[in-house]
Amino acid sequence: MQIEHLVTMANQIGDFFKSFPDQEQAKKDIANHLMRFWARNMREQILAHVNNQNGDGLEAIVRDAIKEHLNNNSIN
Amino acid sequence: MAVGGAAFPTGIKWNTVLGCESEQKYIVCNADEGDSGTYSDRMIMEGDPFVLIEGMTIAAIAVGATQGYIYLRSEYPHALVTLNSAIEAANQAGYLGDNVLGSGKAFHLEVRRAAGAYVCGEETSMLESLEGKRGLVRFKPPLPAIEGLFGKPTVVNNVISLASVPVILDKGAAYYANYGMGRSRGTLPIQLAGNIKHGGLVELAFGITLRELLYDFGGGSATGRPIRAVQVGGPLGAFLPESQFDTPLDYEEFTKIWAVLGHGGIVAFDDTVDMAKMARYAFEFCAIESCGKCTPCRIGSTRGAEVIDKIIAGTDTVKNIKLVRDLSDTMLNGSLCALGGMTPYPVLSAMNHFPEDFEMKKAKAAA
Amino acid sequence: MDDIKYSNTQQHDHEHSRTSYDDQLDYGTPASKSDVQVTLTIDDREITVPEGTSIMRASIMAGINVPKLCATDSLEPFGSCRLCVVEIEGRRGYPASCTTPVAEGLKVHTQTSKLADIRRGTMELYISDHPLDCLTCAANGDCELQDMAGAVGLREVRYGYEGENHLKAEKDESNPYFTFDPSKCIVCSRCVRACEETQGTFALTISGRGFESKVAAGINNFLESECVSCGACVQACPTATLMEKTVIEQGTPEHSVTTTCAYCGVGCSFDAEMKGEEVIRMVPNKNGGANHGHSCVKGRFAWGYATHKDRITTPMIRKSISDPWQTVSWDEAINYAASEIQRIQSKYGKDAVGGITSSRCTNEEVYVVQKLVRAVFGSNNVDTCARVCHSPTGYGLKQTIGESAGTQTFDSVMESDVIFVIGANPTDGHPVFASQMKRRLREGAKLIIADPRAIDLVASPHVKADYHLKLQPGTNVALVSALAHVIVSEGLVNEAFVKERCEWDSFVAWRDFVALPENSPEALSLAIGVPAEELRAAARLYATGGNAAIYYGLGVTEHSQGSTMVMGIANLAMATGNIGREGVGVNPLRGQNNVQGSCDMGSMPHEFTGYRHVSDDAARALFEAAWGRPLSAEPGLRIPNMLDYAIEGSFKALYCVGEDIVQSDPNTQHVTHALESMECVIVQDLFLNETAMYAHVFFPGASFLEKSGTFTNAERRISPVRRVMTPKNGKEDWEVTAALSHALGYPMDYKHASDILDEVARLTPTFKGVSFKKLDELGSIQWPCDDEHPAGTPTMHIDEFVRGKGKFFVTKYVPTSEKVTPKYPLILTTGRILSQYNVGAQTRRTQNVAWHKEDLVEIHPHDAEERGIKENDWVGIASRAGETVLRAKISERVQPGVIYTTFHHPESGANVITTDNSDWATNCPEFKVTAVQVTRVSQLSEWQRNYQEFSDTQIAFTGKNPEANTDDRLKQKTEV
Repeated sequence: MQIEHLVTMANQIGDFFKSFPDQEQAKKDIANHLMRFWARNMREQILAHVNNQNGDGLEAIVRDAIKEHLNNNSIN
Repeated sequence: MAVGGAAFPTGIKWNTVLGCESEQKYIVCNADEGDSGTYSDRMIMEGDPFVLIEGMTIAAIAVGATQGYIYLRSEYPHALVTLNSAIEAANQAGYLGDNVLGSGKAFHLEVRRAAGAYVCGEETSMLESLEGKRGLVRFKPPLPAIEGLFGKPTVVNNVISLASVPVILDKGAAYYANYGMGRSRGTLPIQLAGNIKHGGLVELAFGITLRELLYDFGGGSATGRPIRAVQVGGPLGAFLPESQFDTPLDYEEFTKIWAVLGHGGIVAFDDTVDMAKMARYAFEFCAIESCGKCTPCRIGSTRGAEVIDKIIAGTDTVKNIKLVRDLSDTMLNGSLCALGGMTPYPVLSAMNHFPEDFEMKKAKAAA
Repeated sequence: MDDIKYSNTQQHDHEHSRTSYDDQLDYGTPASKSDVQVTLTIDDREITVPEGTSIMRASIMAGINVPKLCATDSLEPFGSCRLCVVEIEGRRGYPASCTTPVAEGLKVHTQTSKLADIRRGTMELYISDHPLDCLTCAANGDCELQDMAGAVGLREVRYGYEGENHLKAEKDESNPYFTFDPSKCIVCSRCVRACEETQGTFALTISGRGFESKVAAGINNFLESECVSCGACVQACPTATLMEKTVIEQGTPEHSVTTTCAYCGVGCSFDAEMKGEEVIRMVPNKNGGANHGHSCVKGRFAWGYATHKDRITTPMIRKSISDPWQTVSWDEAINYAASEIQRIQSKYGKDAVGGITSSRCTNEEVYVVQKLVRAVFGSNNVDTCARVCHSPTGYGLKQTIGESAGTQTFDSVMESDVIFVIGANPTDGHPVFASQMKRRLREGAKLIIADPRAIDLVASPHVKADYHLKLQPGTNVALVSALAHVIVSEGLVNEAFVKERCEWDSFVAWRDFVALPENSPEALSLAIGVPAEELRAAARLYATGGNAAIYYGLGVTEHSQGSTMVMGIANLAMATGNIGREGVGVNPLRGQNNVQGSCDMGSMPHEFTGYRHVSDDAARALFEAAWGRPLSAEPGLRIPNMLDYAIEGSFKALYCVGEDIVQSDPNTQHVTHALESMECVIVQDLFLNETAMYAHVFFPGASFLEKSGTFTNAERRISPVRRVMTPKNGKEDWEVTAALSHALGYPMDYKHASDILDEVARLTPTFKGVSFKKLDELGSIQWPCDDEHPAGTPTMHIDEFVRGKGKFFVTKYVPTSEKVTPKYPLILTTGRILSQYNVGAQTRRTQNVAWHKEDLVEIHPHDAEERGIKENDWVGIASRAGETVLRAKISERVQPGVIYTTFHHPESGANVITTDNSDWATNCPEFKVTAVQVTRVSQLSEWQRNYQEFSDTQIAFTGKNPEANTDDRLKQKTEV
C-alpha cells in the first residue's frame, strides 16, 4: 500500500507511546505494536522505507524504534 | 382528638410522621371542602386565616416538616386572596420562613389551587393532584404519613383539625376534650343548609341531636312544610328520616345507624322531595366525580343511575331494586375509596327509609 | 459429551422450569428482594415468602389462583379491578390482595361467598360495557377477561346492553404492527403502566375521568404520538384491545420456540410463536437474562425481512460485475468459488485471499469462517465488522484490565448511583437496556452524559442529565484527561484500591501525567468546548457519588484516539475503585447481536478464539493439533489493509459473510475501488447488498430464524439461537462455509452447530463449560464459563483483574488530523436511530420505514441560517473524500459547528464523505469526526446519481425488478 499511509499510521502509533516517561521503553513498545498487529508485508514495507529512504516522514522516535527493535525474522 | 372528614385521630397521624426518618417531610392542609352545603373551612380561611397558619406551623415543628401546602379548592377565590395575604404577612413578621420566630426551625407555606374535582378531597387523590398528576386514588398501605407527597412522610389534615390546634395548645387538651362525648372529643362546626329557615354555621360540642339543630337552631324548614329527610355528611351521606332525628351528633352514634357525620354538613328537605330522584342523584354525582380508577365506581355509578331511571319509569321494579341493592353491595365492599364506597349510603338509606318513593312508581306506571 | 442427539431438522422444544419457579405463570406482582422471610396461611395452606411480597403473589406461589385483571408481575400493583379481593381474619373490609403485603401470621381466605358476590358484581359491570363477540375476537382463547368471567361464574348481565357504553369507539390502526381497539378496553391501565414502568417512554395516559376514561396515545393516534412501538403495551393488555395485526389476520399461534434476537447487542430472548413454519409473532421471553420480558420495535415486530421479496435464495455466479448473474446450483457455485480461490492463490500467493466474518451470524458460523481462512486459505487474513466499531475496546481493555469485554451484567445498572454515558445513545441503540437504565435513573441515580449532541437521554420523561458535557467531536481524550486531573488533584483517588489491585508504577506515571497543569479543566476547557466548572463538578460526582458506572459506545471508539480513550476510561474506573463489583464497571455497549461473539471466536487477524495472539506458540500448537494444518504466526490483514492492498494489486479475493463493507465502511469510493480491483469477491448474505453489487459469487444466507447456534451479547452472555423453520436457501450459513472448505480439500464434518460449539469449548479455556445442553439448562451463560465458574461469570475482575494487576496508561490528547479548515468548516458526526438498524438491510425491508424513511442531516439553526438552509431543503455535504446530498433537519440537538446524520439508507451515501482517518492502534475508522462543508443544492451529488444508475443495473442483473431494493425516495429524488 502507499507508503505515506503506512507512515501516517506509524506516526499515530508513535504519538501514543512517546508520551510515556521512559522513552527507551516507548521505542520497544512501538516496535512491539507493529510486530503484534501489522501484517508482514506492511512491516516489510516500513522497514524498507527506514532502511532505504531513512524513514522520510516518520517521527524520530518511530524511525528509531523501527531501526532498533523491529525484527522481521520472528515474532515474539 | 377526633376531627376530620374521615375522623382518624390526628395525634396518631402526627406521631407516625414524627417517627419517620426522612430529609423532607410535609404538612398538607386539605382545603378542598367539596361537600355540598359545607362552608366552615371557607369561613375560617376567609375570616381567620392566621389560626390555620399557626396550626400548620405547630404541626410542622411537631413532626419535623419544613414545607407546607394548602390545597385549596378552585371555587374559593376569596379564600385564595385572603390566605396569600396572610401568608405574606406572616412571612414578613417572621412567623413563617427559614427561621420561625427565631427558633432555628424553618417552615415555608404555599397555597395550591385545585382544579374542580370532588375526588381530590380524598387525601391520596389530593396528593396526586398536588404532585401535578391526574387525581387518581392511591391504594393504602402505604399510608401518606409514611409515603405521602412525593413519597415523603406527610401529615394530611383538614382545615378544622389544623385550626383547632392553637386553642388546644393554648388552653390545654382537657379544655378541648371536655367538649364532646364518648370518643368524639371537642367541637364540630355544623353547617345548616338546604330547605331550612335559619341556615348557617353553628359550632357546638359533639352530642347535640339532629332535632335540636334543625328546629332550635335552624327554625324548621324555610317553606314551613314538614322536614321529611335530612342528608348529613355531604352528597355521600345517608338520608335520615324523621324517626332518626333524635340521634346525637357523634361519629360512633351515626355509624351505628349507617349514617355519616363527615364534615358536618346538614341539608334539609321538606315533604315534596322525591327520594328516588335523590338516590339517582347520588349515583349521578358519583359518576361525574369518579376518578375512574376502580371498576365498581367507574362503571357502577353510571349503571346505578340507569337502573334507578328504570325504577322511576316503573320497569321491572322488583328486579331492579334488587339490582340496585346488589350494585350497592359491590360498590360498598369493592370500591377503592370512599367515593364509590359511600355512594350506597344515600342510595340505600333512601330505599330503606322511603321505600314508597320507589315501589309506588310501579303502581303509577301500571295505572 | 452430550447424550442428546441433535439433528438439523429437529425443532428444539423449549423446556419449562428448571427451578420450582414456573416461568409461564404470571404471579401478579413483582418479586420482593428482601432477605426477611414471612410465614402466613392462605386458604389453610402455610407459605413462607420474602417480606414485601403481596398476598396475591404469595397465593399464586402456593398454587392458589386468585382472580385478577389489572395485575401482572412485570408491573407494580395498581389495585383498580377489585377482582383480587380477599378476606383477612382480624381485618375489616375486603382488601385487594395485589396491594396488600404479607404479614407474619396472617390468615387469608381467597374464596368466600361475600368475595364471590363482589367479584361477580364487578364482572357484571365490566361485561355491561364490552362487546360480546368472543367467538370472532382475535383474543378468543387468549383473553384474561374471558378467563375471569368464567372464573367468577358470571351468568347474566342484568343491566342489559342499552345503557351508556364504548362499543362504537373507533379502532386506531395507525401503527404498522398492532391495532388499538378501544371498544374492548377495560381501563385496567396495564398498557399505560407498561409504557411508564417497563419502557420508560410515558407515551400513554388515561384521558378524561370516570366513565369517560380512555387510553390515549398523545393527541391523535399511536403513530403520531411518542410511542416507540416497543410492544410492551400489547404484551400487557389482557384483552384484544391492543393486539398484533398478525394475530388478528392469522389467528393464535400453536407452538413456540425460544430464541435470541438478531438485531442489537442487548440480545433479547424471544419466544417465536408459530403456526407450522410461519412466525406469527415474536414475544419477549420473561426469563431473558438481558431483557427480562421486554423488547423494542425491531426484535418484537421487524422480523418480516426474512420473507421479504428482495430475499435471494439461490446461489449466483458471474465472471465480471458488468455481467448479469447466473443462477446455479449450490455445487456449481461452491466449486466455482473454490476454483477461483485456488487459482488466485497459486497466481498471487496465499496472502492474496482473505475473509470477513459476520457479526450477525452465530458464533459457530464465525468460528468456521476463521477456521477456513486459517487452516485452509493458510493465512490470518480474517477480520470482522468490529474493526469499524469496537476494536478499540478490544485493544484498550485488554491492555488495561486484561480482557476484551465489558465487566458487568446489564442488571448491574440497578446498583449504580452515578451513571456516566460517553458517546453512546442507549435509547436508540440499546433500547431495552436504556429502559432499565431509565428505571434506575427514576429511582434517583445521577446521570452524566458526554456527547456532542443532545441525545434523548439528556432530557426525557422523568429523566434529566445532571451534567450534559456537550463536547466538541474529537476531544474525548482531552475530556478524560481533564476529569482525571480533577480526581488526582482534588484527592479523590481510591488509593487503597489502586495499591491492592493495580500496578503501582503505571499508576504513578499516569497520576503525574494527568496532574500536569496542561491537563487541567481550565487548560482544556476551550478545546473541549465545556466550561471548566462543569468538568470539575462531573468529575467529582463520578468519583464520590457512590457506585459509578461508565457506559460507552462508538462515540468513544470511532476516533483516531479511540483506543486511547478506552484506556482513559479504564484508568478512571481503576483510580476510583469503580470496578470489580455490581453497580460499577466499564461497559462497552457492543452494537450488534454477535459482534462480541465474533471477536470471541477469533475473527481478528491477530487473535485465535479467546483473544490469544497468533504468535502465542502454545495456543497455535493447540489449534494446529486440532485442525491438522500448520498455522501462520504472523498477524494478518485488517479490512482497511485488505482494501489498500487490493488497490495496490496484491490482494485479490475476498470471502465476505454477512457484512456490507460498501455501506458501512468509510470512504465508499475507496471501498468500491478496492472491490473492483479484486478478481473474486464472494458475498454470503440474505439480500443483494451494496457489497454484493461488486461480487462475482453470491451465496444466499440463512436468517436467524432458520438456523441453530449461539449469539453473544454485550454482557458476554451466550444465548441460544434456535431454528424455527427450514432455511429458505436450503442451508444454515455454517454449512455453506463447510461446503466451501470441503471443495478446497479440507472437509469439515460437523453434523450440527452444537458440534462446532463443542469444538470451540475444547479449544478455548474461557468457553470450556459451554455447550448447547448447558444452554438448555441455564437459558444463557456469561463467559468465562470454566471449572471455576461452571455457571458462568456475571461480574468480572472481582478479586483480581484478568491480567493480574490493572495497568494504567498515560493518555495524552492528540487532536485529530481531521481539522476544520475554511474549506471544510463544520464537523460531521454520525449516530443511530431506534427504528432502523445499522446498514438498514433488515429494517428497511420491514414496516419500520414508517418511522425513518430516509437519513436526514441535523444542522444547528445558526449554521443553517448562515447558509440559507431551511427545514427539508436538500443540502450538499462535501468532505475531502467525497460529496453527497441529504435533506436537512434544523435542530438544536447539535451545537453550532457540528452536523449529524445516520447511515441506514445506502443512497444517502453517508460514508462517501467519511475518511480513512482511523484509530492508531486498531484502524477503527474515525466516523465521528469528518470536516465538511454544507451548502444548499438543487440536485443529487455526482456519486448519488452514479450510484442510482449502478444500483438499478445490478439489481436488474439478479432478474428482479429494479424497483425492489430501492425506496420511493430514490424515485422522488430525480426531481429535487
